[in-house]
Amino acid sequence: MNPNYKLPAAQDSYSFGFLDEFAKREIRRVILKAISIPGYQTPYASREMPMGRGFGTGGLQLTLAMIGPDDTLKVIDQGSDDSVNAVNLRKFAELTCPGVSTTESTADASLIQTRHRVPETALREDQVLNLQVPYPDPLVIVEPSEARRKVMHGEGDYARLLTKLYEDLVQFDEITISHRYPTRVNGHYVIDPSPIPRYDVPRLHQAKALMLFGAGREKKIYAVPPYTDAEPLVFDDIPFRTENFHTADGKRRPCARCGATDSFLDELNLETGGKAWQCSDTDYCNRQLAAANDREVTP
Amino acid sequence: MKPILEVQGLTRIHGTECPSCLDMTGPEHNTNVCPACGSIVAAANVSFSLQPGEILGIMGESGSGKSTVVKTLYFDQAPTRGKACFRDDTRTHDLFELNSAEQRWLRNHRFGMVYQNPNLGLNFSISAGGNIAERLLMNDLNHYGDIRRRASELLTRTDVMVGRMDESPRQFSGGMQQRVQIAKALATRPPLLFLDEVTTGLDLSVQARILDLILEIQHELDTAMIVVTHDLGVIRLLASRTLVMKHGRVIESGLTDQILEDPQHAYTQQLVASTL
Repeated sequence: MNPNYKLPAAQDSYSFGFLDEFAKREIRRVILKAISIPGYQTPYASREMPMGRGFGTGGLQLTLAMIGPDDTLKVIDQGSDDSVNAVNLRKFAELTCPGVSTTESTADASLIQTRHRVPETALREDQVLNLQVPYPDPLVIVEPSEARRKVMHGEGDYARLLTKLYEDLVQFDEITISHRYPTRVNGHYVIDPSPIPRYDVPRLHQAKALMLFGAGREKKIYAVPPYTDAEPLVFDDIPFRTENFHTADGKRRPCARCGATDSFLDELNLETGGKAWQCSDTDYCNRQLAAANDREVTP
Repeated sequence: MKPILEVQGLTRIHGTECPSCLDMTGPEHNTNVCPACGSIVAAANVSFSLQPGEILGIMGESGSGKSTVVKTLYFDQAPTRGKACFRDDTRTHDLFELNSAEQRWLRNHRFGMVYQNPNLGLNFSISAGGNIAERLLMNDLNHYGDIRRRASELLTRTDVMVGRMDESPRQFSGGMQQRVQIAKALATRPPLLFLDEVTTGLDLSVQARILDLILEIQHELDTAMIVVTHDLGVIRLLASRTLVMKHGRVIESGLTDQILEDPQHAYTQQLVASTL
């Protein structure tokens, strides 16, 4: 985006937060419904946004419908505040929501829009996490008809999804779903928790913050309310496994930059050949680094 | 003993129904297409009862409505009208009054179905074991080890090599596919089993083994069954009582021996006489 770009002269024609008030009211009402029925994919009239569908329009509409001038917004893309998607969405919010402050710090944000990650820093009750969702329905891999999927969701009929897991175990001795792991919310609806890695799935369970999921292209909003059960779909005798980042000799890899051993790592190909592992959450990595520097300064 | 299943006035009409549909179709008119409105009367006023552990045969030519009866009872199709009561331990379910979730529960937990075409009863894109697992998972068995054990027990019971349990049923012979289907239907030890032309299209030795298997299962588990077939040999071997259907109507019913040895209706006489 051109940093010198300004909105057209007649700025009055744009509402605060780009969306008109009717659109915001509808989205807010749908959010309330989604919270009332945890995990239910509530349909809504997804608006045209000045960006392609699939670029986070669902998450952005959630953010714009909820944001107020006293909010602090953080936008992350796969953990990073600096990747193209995150930067552009943040600039768009700065442009269309005058008075809103933006931050890169998880702790300072009141509203966090994210793509494919849940921040490493534990969220608080006064924070809201908006996740951008490409495919909202976990049943799509076993049932092509949406009408039938709706019935299956309504009746809590997830046997065919579990059969897929069974087949994985038979063929590969391992469930092969790396992200978008089907997760049962509040004991009934199974959701697609957007393409977060398995590592982040336990963070939805009994979370303190409200988690909202917006699928702009598929026109669905759903929620994991605070303090709600969110359990990955598994067999009783096969526990859910997350990425462990172990080396061949079974040691946990540390982050190459900050040395953290309790974060989700990205695998990087170095220019010199070889590989490095580094925190995917840049804010967390920076803070770990700052804390380490502080310790060195004050022994 | 109270019957496990009681069916009264089961009717299924395809198309816009008119008042003369039932009067102008049937064996005496030699058609099941209503001449007034063109609707197809697939089954009309079918009534019968089934005792626990009993095998009831439904016999008739193709298009006589025998499969329709079984498919409506298994909720594959909705009946136009009629009543069916399924007695389960102490509770009685009025089948066509239940909501879809309750129907699905009964279908998954208490009924079993074996189709003529394994394509309908099995999912060929998953393994044979997975097909059985699906049915066990529908019954809230959620333990991978237990599911594997149950599935291999069932496949052993139905003479499918356990070593091939992780293969797709697509790679199986027709008789094996049918045995996997039977294993799947039996996975939940249902008190009521529907068999729709299970041996049609199989060669004779395979037919005999499958019929033996069905009889053994009936002795072992005391399962009530409805066997739909046009094969008199199957009826003679399996069923204690039989309904004969033609053009959607039951034209004769009674003990199998009686019907086969002393048929009353002209059509049944023709059917029995034409057996090779």
